[in-house]
Amino acid sequence: MIEWSERKAYWRNTKMQMLTSLLPFLLVLIILPLYAEVLNDMRIFGIPLGYFLACHGLLIIAFVTVAVFVNRQDAIDHWHGAHEDI
Amino acid sequence: MAVTSGVRLVNPRLGTYFGIFSAAFASLVLMALMLEQLGVSDMGVRLLMFAGPIALCGALGLLTPASDPNDYFACGRRVPAFFNGLVLAITALGGAGLMALTGAFFTVGFDALCLSLGISTGLVFMGVLLAPFLRKSGDYTVPSFLGRRFESRPLRIVAAAVLAVPLLLLLAAEARFAAYAAAWLTDQSEPIMAVAVVACACAMVFAGGMRSHTWSASAKAIAALAALAVPATIVALMVSNLPLPQMTHGNILRVITKMETARNLPYLAAPPLAFDVPAQGLEPLAKRFIQTFGSIGSMAFVLMALVATAGTAASPALLNRPGSTPGVHEARKSFGWAVMIAGVVFLTLPAIAIFLRQMLLDQVVGQPADRLPSWFQALQQVGVARVDPTGPTVSFINISFDRDAAWFALSYAAGFPQAMVYLSLAGGVAAALAALAASLLAGANILSEDIVHGLRAEPASNGARIGTARVALGGLTFAAGWLAVAAPADPLKLFLWSLTFSASAVFPVLILSVWWKRTTAWGAIAGMLTGLGVAVAAILLGEAGAWGLPGVLAGAVGLPAGFAAAVAVSVLSPKPGRNVVHILQEIRVPGGETLYDRELRLQRLKTRAVA
Repeated sequence: MIEWSERKAYWRNTKMQMLTSLLPFLLVLIILPLYAEVLNDMRIFGIPLGYFLACHGLLIIAFVTVAVFVNRQDAIDHWHGAHEDI
Repeated sequence: MAVTSGVRLVNPRLGTYFGIFSAAFASLVLMALMLEQLGVSDMGVRLLMFAGPIALCGALGLLTPASDPNDYFACGRRVPAFFNGLVLAITALGGAGLMALTGAFFTVGFDALCLSLGISTGLVFMGVLLAPFLRKSGDYTVPSFLGRRFESRPLRIVAAAVLAVPLLLLLAAEARFAAYAAAWLTDQSEPIMAVAVVACACAMVFAGGMRSHTWSASAKAIAALAALAVPATIVALMVSNLPLPQMTHGNILRVITKMETARNLPYLAAPPLAFDVPAQGLEPLAKRFIQTFGSIGSMAFVLMALVATAGTAASPALLNRPGSTPGVHEARKSFGWAVMIAGVVFLTLPAIAIFLRQMLLDQVVGQPADRLPSWFQALQQVGVARVDPTGPTVSFINISFDRDAAWFALSYAAGFPQAMVYLSLAGGVAAALAALAASLLAGANILSEDIVHGLRAEPASNGARIGTARVALGGLTFAAGWLAVAAPADPLKLFLWSLTFSASAVFPVLILSVWWKRTTAWGAIAGMLTGLGVAVAAILLGEAGAWGLPGVLAGAVGLPAGFAAAVAVSVLSPKPGRNVVHILQEIRVPGGETLYDRELRLQRLKTRAVA
């Protein structure tokens, strides 16, 4: 069970983890498609680069984001003693 | 010391059971293929492929009854992360994400990415921003969560009413998608099949609520993913010798880009706010696949991705899923699985679209109008494709195609036996049924838990809660059947409206309720009502053409308005009491007793003391 004095520090770390997980991803989501046309002139594995990054790249980033988030947040929980009992 | 939940046992034979289901489904498909070759009538094969999967999934739903509220509303809190992610993914996708999105990729190419990106990002956002806290609160519905978080009964009622809007739109959309595929599969009229599929969805979750739904939706997800993967993989093997459509469609993309240049397809430039996805029915093909922003403008692309993100993250049909996992950690993990499964699907859909487009460009475009390939003539006979030739040969802009048929048309174009087409159709029915059942169940639970029992001071007995939930489910089934027959709009549009409403009315308040301590009950009520009102106004203005923002993008103004109203009213109203802040502090920490379980325990102690 988490100590009362730990709660503030725990929530500060949790907030920072949330922002570091979501903000870069959100930026890529907004900016990348706008430059896809330019990137399409280059190719990777025969696929136009802009399409490849928007379709394959963003989905890979999404999965990596969640995977990293789950592990990092789990570490934060354990560090502050906020994890579940079982 | 009380533990977080009573039962933490995960059924160790889940893998075996779903292995048996997958084997049964595979043998059903093989049987259909054999029966077709043996000359059994076409109608017999159709009925086998319609009734077989529904009977298998329905049996799973009927054989898992529940008599305890914890089982009925939260599947006993013992769904492992993978299966929870599987159900999350298939509910987020549904018929809209599989049938309509494949068609959108086929017709407008690159521009359809805004939807697939938005939905997968929405799952990420929900997993990070909302799911762990919903799981810790342990409430069965979103209005109950908000009511507990702010200790406010009016907010609970308002939230239930507001959530009904996106839920009913989603219900109507998924019922229409299921009816479309089922009508094609059984050769019946669409309204009859709409009633039939809604009744099927109700029967599949009636016995055990969330427990039945989790079992049958996992099975439907397996069926739908198989139906998506099998034709795409075989075609990928045929055209590129590598059974990975997700990776190999890039080379075909190069081929069709060359073909499109050779056939002089027009370069379109859409205004920044244009949102021109193909409507239901036969629509002309116009755009080059790889060209960006030819049908959907650049601004509309980004806005749609953001609205779909917020709408999926706050979708009422998904928000009750985290509650059924064994703990907060598993709830987070299930979103990893959901993103992965949805991601693989989102890589397969453009592959199907590209393969179909290549076959169309190669075999139909440029041919004499009276010598079209037999598969295209078959598609014309079914009524999903049309050519209006203006010259001696067919040119690209003369071809019209039914958006929702693209996934199924691939099996025609590749020359597969009819049973393969029926497999895809059965997969489409299964996916739409899963999303339909999820929204039916979420709506019925909100109706019974928050409207009927939420108004009473005394907690209801277990039997009364489940009984009311079943009555509400029956009532909602009739409403959904009527909606599916009566709703005139394009189902994809209904789906997008549902996203817009949950983005503007639900998303801001849910986010603030967890991440901003100062939010008050009045702020939350104001945020929900403002978001809903602004979204309705923006949709009406957009549909009437009174301003440049298309109706489906109404969330782009509704969401900031909802945030602004919630923040402004919260700041103006008195600070939340110590009790409310304490509840929030409990919700934010994964460890310790689930709030809902603690309330039940305290109630039991109280009744024991009185007795």
